Parts: sequence; C-alpha cells; structure tokens
Amino acid sequence: MIDRKHIHAAFDEELEHIHTLIMTMGGLVEQAIQKSSTALRIRDTELSEQVVENDSAIDKIEESVNVEAVNMLSRRQPQAQDLRTIVAVMKISSNLERMGDYAKNMAKRTSVIVQSPPLGPSNGSLKQMSKTVKQLTKDALDSFIRRDATKAANVIQRDEDVDQMYNALFREFLTHMMEDQRSITPAMHYLFIAKNLERIGDHATSIAEQVIFLVTGSLPEQVRPKDDQTPYQDQRLEVFTSNDKCKP
Amino acid sequence: MSDNTQGSPEAVDLDSTLSAVKVTAKDVNVYYSDVRALQDVSMEILDHTVTAFIGPSGCGKSTFLRCLNRMNDTIDHCRVEGRIELDGEDIHRRSIDPVQLRARVGMVFQKPNPFPKSIYDNVAYGPRIHGLAATRAELDEIVESALRSSALWDEVKDRLRMPGTGLSGGQQQRLCIARAVATKPEVLLMDEPCSSLDPIATSQIEDLIDHLRESYTVVIVTHSMQQAARVSQKTAFFHLGNLVEFNDTPFIFTAPQDERTESYITGRIG
Repeated sequence: MIDRKHIHAAFDEELEHIHTLIMTMGGLVEQAIQKSSTALRIRDTELSEQVVENDSAIDKIEESVNVEAVNMLSRRQPQAQDLRTIVAVMKISSNLERMGDYAKNMAKRTSVIVQSPPLGPSNGSLKQMSKTVKQLTKDALDSFIRRDATKAANVIQRDEDVDQMYNALFREFLTHMMEDQRSITPAMHYLFIAKNLERIGDHATSIAEQVIFLVTGSLPEQVRPKDDQTPYQDQRLEVFTSNDKCKP
Repeated sequence: MSDNTQGSPEAVDLDSTLSAVKVTAKDVNVYYSDVRALQDVSMEILDHTVTAFIGPSGCGKSTFLRCLNRMNDTIDHCRVEGRIELDGEDIHRRSIDPVQLRARVGMVFQKPNPFPKSIYDNVAYGPRIHGLAATRAELDEIVESALRSSALWDEVKDRLRMPGTGLSGGQQQRLCIARAVATKPEVLLMDEPCSSLDPIATSQIEDLIDHLRESYTVVIVTHSMQQAARVSQKTAFFHLGNLVEFNDTPFIFTAPQDERTESYITGRIG
C-alpha cells in the first residue's frame, strides 16, 4: 500500500475522515458486543438496555459512511487502492451495522432470560464464545486499520472455532430443552444469542475478506471454512425425540 | 519492462485474449538529439482491441504512438531504434513506403484539423491520393461509408459541400476520424482525440471508439484516466520514458502491480 499523499489534499482529508468514521463505528460495535455479553452473564437488564439504545448511533454512522463514500465516488472518481478502500469501507460499514444489530438482539433477549433461572454450564460455553467473537471482531478491525492482510487471513481461519462453539452450544441447548420443558423459553433465547454471536463472527470474517481485497486487490482464493453443522442435525433430533415423534 | 506487463489471471478479458497480435514493438528506443525519450519499450498490441496509453506529460506515450506509423520520421533530430512490426512485418524495412504505411496506420490528432475544403473533400482526400476509387460513384460510396462509421453521416449528408471548418468541434473531430478511416486503415492511432472537446462531444467520440474497434485496432493516448478506463480493453502506463505496466484495463484501474502506476492513477504523482 502507498502512504504518499494525494496531490489534491482535500481527497486525503476525506479518506481520513471516512476511516475515522469506520474506527468510531468499530469501537461502538466492540462495546455493544462487550456490553451485551456482560449484561447476559451478570443478568443486568440496565446494561442490556444501554446496548439497545446505543444501536441507533451505529446506524447513524453507517448512513454517514454511505453518504461520504458515494460523494467520493462521484466527485473524486477514485482508482486503484483508493477505489478499493471506498468499496471496502462501504461493505465494512454494512457489516458493522449488522453486527450492532446482532448485539442489540442479544441485549433484548437478556431481559427475557433474566426471568428464568440460569441454564447451568452453558453459560460458561456462551461466555467463551462471546470472548472469542469479541477478539475476532477486534482483530478484523485492527487488520483494517493496519492494512494487514496476514492478520485478516488469520481472522478468516479462526471463524471456524466460532462455528464449532456454536455447534456445541446448539447440542447443549437442545439437550436442556428435551430434559426440562420449562427451560425451552430461556434455551430458545440462548440459542438465538449463540446464533447472533456466530453471525457476528461471520461478519468479522467478511470484514477480514474486505481487508484482503483492499490490500492485495483480490478476494481470498480459498473458500472460507464454514463449520455451522446445525442445519444438518435433523438425524440427531430424531434420535433425541424418537419416543414422541410427530406425525407429518 | 517488468513482469507487471504480463496478463493477470484474475482479469482475463476473453475478447482480447482471443485477438491476434497486430502490432509488436521490440526494444524501442527513441532519441530527440541526445535525449532518450523512450527506453526499451516492448509490447504487443492486439487486433480489434482498444489500447490506451496513459502517463504524465513527457512520459513518452505520444512519442511511442508516433513510432507506430513512423510519424517521428518527419522530425529531423528524432531517431528511433528497435523493431516495430505490423502483422509481423518490420515497418522500418526499406521496401516499406511511409506514406503507404500511414494509409494502413491512420492517425487522429489532439485538435480537430480539417482541411480548408468541403466536408466531402476532406474525407475524399485520402482515397484520392491513394487511388482507392476508380469512379465518382465509388468515391461517393467511400465518403458515405467513412462518414457513417464516424457517426457523422446523418448530421452532414445534406451539406457535404459545406466547408469542414464550419462544423462544431466535436463534428470536426469526427470528420477527422472519417478522413482517417476513409483510406481503410488497419490501425487507428488517436492522440488525445477528445482533449479539446466538451463532455457531450467526448461521449460521442468514445461511443464511436467502441464501434471502431469492430473494424480496426485502436490505440489511444489520453490524459483522462477515466477515458482510458471507459474505452480501452488494454492500458499501458508510461513514466519517464519507460513502459511501466501494461495489462487488462480493469486490472490496471483496480489493482495495478507497480507502485508508480498506483501513484499516478490515484493522483499521487503528476
């Protein structure tokens, strides 16, 4: 990547500003993930409400990024790394906005979850998963700020861990629900929370892919690992529920 | 020339990969007196392809363009070294008549320069001196065909006897293109053909270039990178007399390989 300034200094200022917006947005999203995970863990509805309220700030920044990016496309006709930067920034802001939404959704579910007793050891697994996803998000954003394609490639590889954690949690929650019908409501919410975390991981991966495109000029060649196996678990569900199968 | 002049695997343009090589330049050096304006330029220009030359002023792009039809021969202190082939034949061979060569490799200049003659005579000039028409009817046909292929026929068919200089700038440039294609060239060289035109006339010429490609090999020198991106399939970037990078146009404008190309097209060096 070239660090040299543009002849037209205002273009540099605009690029710098759009970077600042992404960094601010990234910071808010990291905070939202952090707070919604903590709120869930310590069963703090006040904290979870904060996450819900703060989401509109993330949405507003996304709008600003889009407006500025479109302005730059029309006024500057960016080429090469400038063009890739603006395309990447637009996609990354969209990723971040979705990540914010998932964090908000987690926070919303927390207020329902606190009305039921904790779900035993699954809490620990969920804590581990949210920690991994937070780190993945942080690393994806760092790779963008530092224009580090190696770090971005590492994020893509690590998304596999998140998928595996989700598969494990899916089975755990299913077991809870089958063992005790009273746990169905909280377990369903936990399951959605785990799914939200898994999707946040996917978006972090997508940010990493944009970083690779930004730095190298092409998207990563390898198909990224996708280890969410839950759509294929009908068979296990049948085994678990063999005694009271529903007739079609 | 660096490795960056090789085609990229990502940006394969089927159209251009299927085309045959029309012009080949091998180690071309150009000197104006003792000043070396072009250094060891080698490239292959494909048939039925628009190739754009970009680069800052004084980078050698126009000098190289003028090598392709030996226009530099007309400059006393200019010396061209190296080999340039048209369909595999060396254009500097003694048996090659530069005038005949220029009929095969036509040229359109930066500023529209119609002769102070009628629209008809402007276009008929080349075919007349090259004896391409035996009868008046044949000449009429050539003039009409050339004006049609330069997208000017409908605008001038009722005033062919009016002076060419009375047309608008954009029309004059299309008249010059008609004049260039009237001799049925194989290659059309364009040296900043839109630099003195307004955006509408520029769009018309760019649209025309798209169509000209069906019949000719087009090489265009342009200062407008957007124009190169819009009209060409291949782009060559020149800098300080060197061919820095030559590749498929989409590749040059999204992911150039050489830092100098990147700096130039993103507006970091002049």
